[in-house]
Amino acid sequence: MGFERDNTASEEVLRRDFLRQIYAASAAAWMSSEPKSLMGSEIKETENSGGALRTEPTADACILLWMGGGMAAPDTFDPKHYIPFRKGLPVREMLSTFPAIDTAVSGLRICQGLERIASVMDRGTLIRSAVQEDLGSILHSRHQYHWHTGYVPPQTVACPHLGSWIAKVLGRRDSVIPPFINIGQRLEGVGESEELKAFTTAGFFGSEYGPMNLPVPMDAAKAVLPPAGMTDRRFSERRNLYKRLLDARESRDQVSDYQTNSILRSIDNAHELLSSKDRHAFDLSREDEGSRRLYGETRFGQGCLLARRLVESGARFVEVTTEYVPFLHWDTHANGHETVARMHRDIDAPIAQLVLDLESRGLLDRTLVVIASEFSRDALIEGVPGSNAADQATEKVEAVSEMKHYGLHRHFTGGTSVALFGGGMKRGFVYGKTADQRPLVAVENPVTIADLHATILTAMGISPQTGFEVEGRPFYVTKDGTGKSVNELFASS
Amino acid sequence: MSGVRPLVNATVLVVSITVYQIICNCGYSQEMPTDEIDFSHEVVPVLRRHCAECHTGDQAKGGFSMNDQGLLLRSSSVKVGASGESELIARLTDSDADVRMPPGERPALSAQEIEVLSRWIDQGVPWEAGFRFDGKYYIPSLSLKAAARRDAVPDGRNPIDVIIERDAPAIKDLNKQDLTDSEFYRRASLDLVGLLPDVNHLHDFVSDQGGDKRKVLVDSLLSNSNAYAEHWLSFFNDLFRNDYAGTGFITGGRRQISNWLYQSLISNKPYDVMARELIAPANDDTRGFIDGIRWRGEVSAGQTVEMQFAQSVAQAFLGINLKCASCHDSFIDQWTLDDAYGLAAIYSERPLKLYRCDQEINRVAEPAWLFPALGKIEQGLNREERLKQLAQLVTAPENASFSRSIVNRLWYRMMGRGIVHPLDAMQSEPWSEELLDYLAGYLIDHEYNLQALLRLIANSDAYQSRSVQIQKDVSRGYSFEGPVTRRLTAEQFLDAVWQITESGPVQFDAPIVLGDSDQVDENLHQWSGEWIWGASASNGGIPPAGETLAIRRVIEVPSGLVAAAALVTCDNSYKLFVNGEQVAAGDNWSEPNGISIHSYMKEGKNELVVIATNAGNGPNAAGLFFEAHFDFTDGLRERIVSDASWSVYKNAPTISDGRLGDFLGSWEPATIVDALSVWDQAVKQHGRLAIQRALMQRDVWFRSSLMKNDPLMKALGRPMREQIVSMRPESLTTLEAMNLSNGDAFANILSAGARKLLRRYAGENDKMVVYLYEFAYSRKPSSPELKVAVSYLGETTGEERIADLLWSIFMSPEFLLVR
Repeated sequence: MGFERDNTASEEVLRRDFLRQIYAASAAAWMSSEPKSLMGSEIKETENSGGALRTEPTADACILLWMGGGMAAPDTFDPKHYIPFRKGLPVREMLSTFPAIDTAVSGLRICQGLERIASVMDRGTLIRSAVQEDLGSILHSRHQYHWHTGYVPPQTVACPHLGSWIAKVLGRRDSVIPPFINIGQRLEGVGESEELKAFTTAGFFGSEYGPMNLPVPMDAAKAVLPPAGMTDRRFSERRNLYKRLLDARESRDQVSDYQTNSILRSIDNAHELLSSKDRHAFDLSREDEGSRRLYGETRFGQGCLLARRLVESGARFVEVTTEYVPFLHWDTHANGHETVARMHRDIDAPIAQLVLDLESRGLLDRTLVVIASEFSRDALIEGVPGSNAADQATEKVEAVSEMKHYGLHRHFTGGTSVALFGGGMKRGFVYGKTADQRPLVAVENPVTIADLHATILTAMGISPQTGFEVEGRPFYVTKDGTGKSVNELFASS
Repeated sequence: MSGVRPLVNATVLVVSITVYQIICNCGYSQEMPTDEIDFSHEVVPVLRRHCAECHTGDQAKGGFSMNDQGLLLRSSSVKVGASGESELIARLTDSDADVRMPPGERPALSAQEIEVLSRWIDQGVPWEAGFRFDGKYYIPSLSLKAAARRDAVPDGRNPIDVIIERDAPAIKDLNKQDLTDSEFYRRASLDLVGLLPDVNHLHDFVSDQGGDKRKVLVDSLLSNSNAYAEHWLSFFNDLFRNDYAGTGFITGGRRQISNWLYQSLISNKPYDVMARELIAPANDDTRGFIDGIRWRGEVSAGQTVEMQFAQSVAQAFLGINLKCASCHDSFIDQWTLDDAYGLAAIYSERPLKLYRCDQEINRVAEPAWLFPALGKIEQGLNREERLKQLAQLVTAPENASFSRSIVNRLWYRMMGRGIVHPLDAMQSEPWSEELLDYLAGYLIDHEYNLQALLRLIANSDAYQSRSVQIQKDVSRGYSFEGPVTRRLTAEQFLDAVWQITESGPVQFDAPIVLGDSDQVDENLHQWSGEWIWGASASNGGIPPAGETLAIRRVIEVPSGLVAAAALVTCDNSYKLFVNGEQVAAGDNWSEPNGISIHSYMKEGKNELVVIATNAGNGPNAAGLFFEAHFDFTDGLRERIVSDASWSVYKNAPTISDGRLGDFLGSWEPATIVDALSVWDQAVKQHGRLAIQRALMQRDVWFRSSLMKNDPLMKALGRPMREQIVSMRPESLTTLEAMNLSNGDAFANILSAGARKLLRRYAGENDKMVVYLYEFAYSRKPSSPELKVAVSYLGETTGEERIADLLWSIFMSPEFLLVR
């Protein structure tokens, strides 16, 4: 007898209810070493606490489009005076290396090369005043860790990724799709992979809430298929054998204990996903050729398409990255202009298409799409003015003498752009501002990582003061519970 | 700071908030008359049981509170030094029920309890400094409970059982007969050496009629020093946050202690010596522990290397979590910012300024440690001297937190739950103070011999009783009922899978010199093999680059083989095939490989083939060295070595799927080549250990503890080790289950295992199933199980069916748990 996979609708609903229950049970904190929610414990909430772990959400799912490596705001979402390439151009005069173009929002201009995104800016909110901390020496890995966990490394406990917090507090949606899926970042065989792994984790929450990593979106289907070389039929026969052997045990007295049940539930959960119809969401080959092309044949483009499919099938939090590899992609330490022009091509169509597809499916209202990076870039200043960040530009010249000198080659933490689409955010709205002349720091409404996280979490219905007790100490989803949601960004405000 | 007053007969140490350090007035290390009262262990329990409810905390019935010594003395209810004249004793013994304390229905004190209180008053009402009955936190005594050591143990009984029966009545019925011999073997083997029992050994053990066979087994497991070291390596890597790859290594900001740790374990180095070598390193071998991780850029004041030092020393060796106190006075225990900085300043080479929550507070830390009552860090010492002094203070027998902390961790590993739990909160109340202190004292008495402690635990009825499951949150109200069922760690799981599938890695990552050099068989140091090659090397010829030869020897193996291992190396690379199947490969002639070939041999004719390749761009020296040792039941050892009796075939056959194709054509005799001196040197230098190890282990694979963390192990709960981790996750998660259900890495292991089993058990499916059940579960399959499994394998059994059976066995809770 094969494993039944095509249940009737009502059975499907029943099964899902059942799944939710067993999922919750298998994830229950039953050992005292697991983090406990602070709610209801004797530790008091911070005084600015919202009072509850959960608030009314404006989004059910979140897609983080991660521009790993440091996306230069002046060459993307925050154009300054355009200075074209010319031999002998003094570097100190260089501001933006792309001209600005109009967008669907009157008066809002972004950089040339992002025409498709420009056409959907009326669906989103643009923050131009995101700021990051100057960590002395600006390093991608530390800033990425900070951005993804809300905490500056090193920390005394292993901090969970933002996606793990969301998975822990909200769990799965009405679906077998794991709550936290991470697309596009290879964690083996790339530079700084150990540093990447350090925040690509559920940390102290344990791997139940960790990311399901899909480094190559085109191969995602494989992650939910039986192992290579195993047919579906054999896969279900194997499961059948497993169950029959368990049933054949002579002494079944121990089968009822908690730990055994917990193991069996997890194995069941896994098989439910590996045998459910929802797993087809992972399979890009089921998308018709035309819509695949709309997203572009890059890993990032296909990652965006995969994210859309997963959210359609009930994913909770999906991160899609352009991938951080030292000195590649957004990590423009040299030849910045030409590299950014290529990055524009990589992201423009997929991001716009993702927004449009979500909208046409009626999902954009309840899906928050976030475009962010660990910091911005500048041609001249490393860190923020007056910082002691070490200069890591590889092409240090006073004047541009060839094309590879033309670009924004230095890490800059004083003013970064973040775009938010859907999920309850205002539409066609711009928040904050950076100076028009160097230093290009945020001069209005600076938004820290803690506040940005608070905003995302609030949209998802999670209080920024949500905390858990870890090793006896309180640990909060935003740094020490201090993150404050930027309420002006919400459509309802 | 209300409520703090000078106390009689004790030192006062004022700490912030309302928590005070206890200084034990009955030093553990001193021999004392047995009637000297032990306040915290004898008096406090009596007062708590009978008086505390109405006369401590915010209760002061009849206006009488004894929250602290001052309140008690001022109440006039005791006359210091004269119990006979004290109202307290009079009220306890009054015959008038209306006057007698405790009042009403409450039980009267026993004569023995009254005797304790009388003796206490007669001896001057000694009190532990800072102790308050209304204290928010349990504060363990600085030194071990004196009585724990004085305990007379009835003949032949394990003291653990004696104490548990007294302290945990629920376990009165402890009966080691509950646990069968084979269950015991599996549990003890997994706990002590991290491996499943070998099926033959299991049979021998079960049929052994010896009355002390369990004791003998424990001894023999612990004496397997390789297996012991490779198992406990994971535990100590977690504890000392040591790993073979990870954050900080590439930038030079972090150093390993791997080889030192391995050598310490294989030689069962006393734990206090280990601690001293880590805290005050004599060389770079151990420096990695105190140097922590040096991050690039600026880090918060709570994560400087100095503060990491304070946190690591306190957590690893004292079971004290200073993470809160690194930033501000802790809200959850008694440790303060000054405590954390004092410890950090011992390590610091510069004046260490204090920061509270990253704000400088204009003070410089004085080097100090957490228990000045046990001794102080002298002023004016240089860093090396300070570290040495700290190492002495931490490991002094008087410092109970050191011995308690490690015995608690080992108890946890063996029993599934700490006596204090969680492990790094040693300020929490143990479920049995007496047991904890007995074990700590035992460790000290046995010169910090960790194996002695493990042996004591493993030999107890408590350990040898049936396991129990924890059904719910156990943070409160735990009482011991038996060992708690535990999940296999990532390493135990993989090692067990590799044992059964014989498919573990043939190379390892840890920078460790494996094996105990003391145990190397001296007879192995004479090598008689020659370096050989084909005709291109004859008459001083130089073989061309890229030349690939098959070099063969056919041997006759009599019955009774118990071990077989080969040492192979080739300039430049080789693949070894036994009976057509690839066994090993290597491309670094400077490190000869020791390879167990036992499982590939059969009785009678066997074919050994090496496919040898010369590399380079032009003609260059090439040679193969081979020497195999065959041990037989009668104790004889035979050797097969590379020499002129080998044959060479010029055109190497095709290799597909790990198997050698057919040879077509004729063989010619091998040519003996003049060995380069570096070749011989490589064999001399590495050969002994390599072949010795292969012979001893009869394994061709290395254990997971020696491997870098990988996605599979990570999914199974092996931590990243950027922080100290003393407890692994206890539940199997959905993502792990997915990884095990469809991940390629695990699927490949299953296929490889299936291939080997198919070869060995072709046509004997029931034998195979019995073997697998016995290996995996240490029991025979029930007849329904056997029937289901055999019918699944079918008549034309293929690898796939066997792989499926392996998966079903490995995914069973019975396999995944240590019961």
